[in-house]
Order: sequence, then structure tokens, then C-alpha cells
Amino acid sequence: MSTTLALAKREIAGLFYSPIGYIVLAIYLLFVGLLFSLLVMQPGAVADPGPMFQWNHLILIFVVPFMTMSLFSEEYRSGRIETLRTSPITDFQLLMGKFLGAMGFYCVVIASSLIFILILSLFGRPDYMTVLTSYLGLLLMGMLMVSIGLFFSACTQHQILAAMSSCVTLVALGILFQAISYFLGAALGVSWAWLRTLRHVLRYLAIEPHMANFSRGIVDSQNMIFFLTGAGLFLFLTYVVLESRKWR
Amino acid sequence: MSQPAEIVAEQLTKAYGRFLAVDNISFAVPKGMVVGFLGPNGAGKTTTIRMLTCFMPPTSGTASVAGFDVFHDSLSVRKNLGYLPENAPLYLEMRVVEYLQFRGRLRGMDRQSIKKRIDEVTELCWLSDRKRWPISKLSKGYRQRLGIADALLHNPPVLVLDEPTVGLDPSQIRETRKLIANLAGLHTVLLSTHILSEVELVCQKVIIIGRGKILAQGSPEELKQQCAQRGPGSRLILEIRGPADQIRSALAALPGVDQARVVSDNAVCTVELVGKIDGAMREQIAALVQQRGWALREMRSAGASLEEFFVQITDPGAAAAA
Repeated sequence: MSTTLALAKREIAGLFYSPIGYIVLAIYLLFVGLLFSLLVMQPGAVADPGPMFQWNHLILIFVVPFMTMSLFSEEYRSGRIETLRTSPITDFQLLMGKFLGAMGFYCVVIASSLIFILILSLFGRPDYMTVLTSYLGLLLMGMLMVSIGLFFSACTQHQILAAMSSCVTLVALGILFQAISYFLGAALGVSWAWLRTLRHVLRYLAIEPHMANFSRGIVDSQNMIFFLTGAGLFLFLTYVVLESRKWR
Repeated sequence: MSQPAEIVAEQLTKAYGRFLAVDNISFAVPKGMVVGFLGPNGAGKTTTIRMLTCFMPPTSGTASVAGFDVFHDSLSVRKNLGYLPENAPLYLEMRVVEYLQFRGRLRGMDRQSIKKRIDEVTELCWLSDRKRWPISKLSKGYRQRLGIADALLHNPPVLVLDEPTVGLDPSQIRETRKLIANLAGLHTVLLSTHILSEVELVCQKVIIIGRGKILAQGSPEELKQQCAQRGPGSRLILEIRGPADQIRSALAALPGVDQARVVSDNAVCTVELVGKIDGAMREQIAALVQQRGWALREMRSAGASLEEFFVQITDPGAAAAA
């Protein structure tokens, strides 16, 4: 456990040492601020930060890949992977260390949006339990996003390639699937059974409907299972990639 | 070799597709010895080392380090091993102390022993005055030393150093070699290099590898003897004041001399003799020179160097041409 924490701590520190960490934070704050001022902070509106959380993933799908791109890629490129893998740590500890490190930084990023909750609480009385479930949703969603980024970072020694691949995947989950399922429902009138099934599958795979529940204060096991199994799947795939690299 | 072996490789093979990077090699490194792993670039040194350090599994064959199998008991091997990879890759944004603390925790050391060992290894590797420095500000030599300090941090019985002196300036090379030589006895060291003088200076045993195969192994002295037996014989360089052609013909007529060649001739002539030249022969030559009334200025043996041996066995074509 302590070796995993040592790895995680180094990873968080690494992000704070590099300019990337600060750029990620700044961009995230900028766009959350935009969401906040456009959707939440309206004169006469209810003090409900929900929309800010419901659409948070639209920012995170472009931000998380830059947090995760270097996790393994940079170790491969610099050759430090050799010092890591010849240390007495298992691949699982290495994987968990990297994952927890990135999650730690992710938590710092999403916690920065607390400033908007603070501003809101100056003008009204938001439902703090809903804020809590929203952050739980963001945390679970982050596990999925970070594990996807981690997977692509483990696949290549080129950071940019890792960032682009995870960005494409996250855009599919965050925007594309939902748009297609919306289009299928609206334009085709859902006459064929297989199209209806496809639409349901795509809608289940999209991030927004799952996040929407959390932002309304609903903690549904179905949404939790979606994020957790997704994260588990990509962590497992990352582990497989790490193991297989040994045999090349 | 009564000492138990700390590193044992048995029929170790690594294939990349059809290319055999390491081809069925076996060797043993006795406890407490500094052993040189010598070979030209691309001979399979790093691949072998990567298999010994559990970075990649062998295609076939087995190896053990500190008594543990590299494949089946890889974690135990890695606990007992200090490894300096080629070019000593480091986290540039960290400070020296931070890096060593991180490495100590990865190895499961407790806080007190990490602190104590950091003091010891930074002292040993002449890093004490750079402890608070960011690694990115360190010169190549200091980074290399930090790599060695890291390998030594958990006081492992076995050390594997992959080209530890590459990229260092001459004085740093000398210091690093001194450091490695001092580790003998306390640690078992496998030192990979393609520099011959390094092996002659610090190693008690040499394993020469070329094109994935072991070409020779033994102490530097043994290898020199082998070279003398295999090669064209020993060489003697003479500097004599006198007429060059007379000197040459007189020396060539001596029994045991296969070849006499005038290397330079300006008032003092330099002659190179090749053949079975022993101590008695040299006295004979000295007497001959005196008898003819010439003056002997210098006589030295340019006998089999390890370098010639190295070139001879790693590249038979070049040796034949020379």
C-alpha cells in the first residue's frame, strides 16, 4: 500500500511541477465559470447548481486526456519504465499508483469548482445534499475518464497520440453517442426493433444521462454501476497492456 | 571458484522475432566480485541485463540472482538488486533527496532507514553538496552518480550497472571507476561496458559477448594469456642507435624471431620484433647490440593487450586484416 501511495504522490507532484497541471486547472475553471454564469447564476433563478454539474463532462472530456497522457507514455519514452519495473513493485501496484495519482489531481481540479458553490451560497441557499451527490457523480465519472486516459497512455510512448486517442473515446462517450441516439429517436420514429435497441445501448453508454441523475440529487445504482464497471474495464485493459509489453 | 555464485545464467536466450539478440549464453558471477560484461555495441549486453533484472522474460533458459529465479520469483530478485539502466533515466523535476526518498519508499524501506541510507549513499557517490538540487540542474556526471546512489540505496547484495561511465568526462570516469572498484567485496557487481581499459582497471573477471554469444570469459590475465597463445605471438619494440638495415638483418637472424620490421629510422631506429620472445631472448638481444657497438635506448614488450584480444575475438575479419 505504501509503495502505491508513494507512486501516487509522485504523480500528483509531477503534475504540479509541470505547466500542464496549471493549464488544465485554468482551462477547467474558465469553462466551469462559463457554465456557471450562463446556466446557474441568473437573476431571479432558483439557486440550483445542477446544470453546472450536468454539463461538466463537456469540459472534462477535453481536460482529462491532458492530465493522463503522460502517465505511462513519458515513462516509456524517458526509459524510466526500466527503473520502475525493476523495482520490487507489482504491475498492479504500478497501475494503482498511477491511477490514484491521476485521481488525486482530478479531485483537486473538480474541487476548484467549489468556488462557484461558495459564490452561489452568498446569494441564495443551494441544496447542499444535491451538491454532495453531484460531486460524488463527478468523482465516479472521473474514475471512468481517468482509466480511459490511463489505458491509452499505457499503449504508446507518444503523449500526444495518447491524449488524442483518449479524447476521441471520451468525445464518443460524452457527445457522439448521445447525439446519435437523439437523432435516431427523432428522425426515424423508431420503427425497427434493432434500431431501438441500438438507440438504447448508445444512450446507456453516453455519460450525460448518468451524470444528470447525480446532479439532480439522485444516487441510482445503475449510474454508479455504469461508471464503476467502465473504470474497471479500462483498468483491467491497462493491466493487460502493461503485462503484454513485457513479452515484446 | 569456491565462492557461491550470486548471478547465474543458464542457456539464456532472447529472440526478437527471428533475430536472436542473446543466443544460449551461460555464465556465473561469484559473490563479492566485480565482473565486467564486455562487448561491442549491439552485442546483446543490455538485453541480457534486462533479463537478469526482470525487465523482460527470457525466450528460453533460466537465470537466478541472489538465489532467486528471475521468472518465478521476480519480486525477490528485484528486492535484492540494484540496477542502473543505461543513461540513468530520472525524474528531472524532482530534487535529489526527493528522488531518493521516492525510490526508497518504492522498495518498502521505512522512513528512518531511508534517511540514514540517503546520507550514506550521497556521501559515497560524492553527492552530499547537491542533495537539495533539482535533478534537471545536475550535469550528466552527477545524474549518473545519482543513478548509482539509487542502485545502492537499499544496500542490495547484487548490483547491475549498464554502461555507468558513458557520457562522463575523464575525471568523472576515474572517480566512478574508483567508486565501483570500492564496491567489490561488499556487493556483487555486474558491470556492462564496451570500454576495455575500464574492465582491466576494475574487474576481477571478464565475460566477453559478441553477436549474442559468449566469446570468452576469465580474469583479465587469463584472457591475455589466451590471446598470446591464439595470436601471432608477442611483440617487442626496440629503440637502437645504429645503422638500420644492419640492425634489422642481425635481429631477424635470431632464433625465435618470425618477423623484424623497422618502424622508423632517423639516427635512432625503432624496430618491432614479432615471435616467441621470452626473457632469455631479451638478454641475448641486449648482448648482441652491445657486441656490435650500437646503443640500446629502449626495449619494451608491446605484448598481447586485452584490446587486441577483444578485436580478435569479436571481429575475426578485422583481426585477419590487421
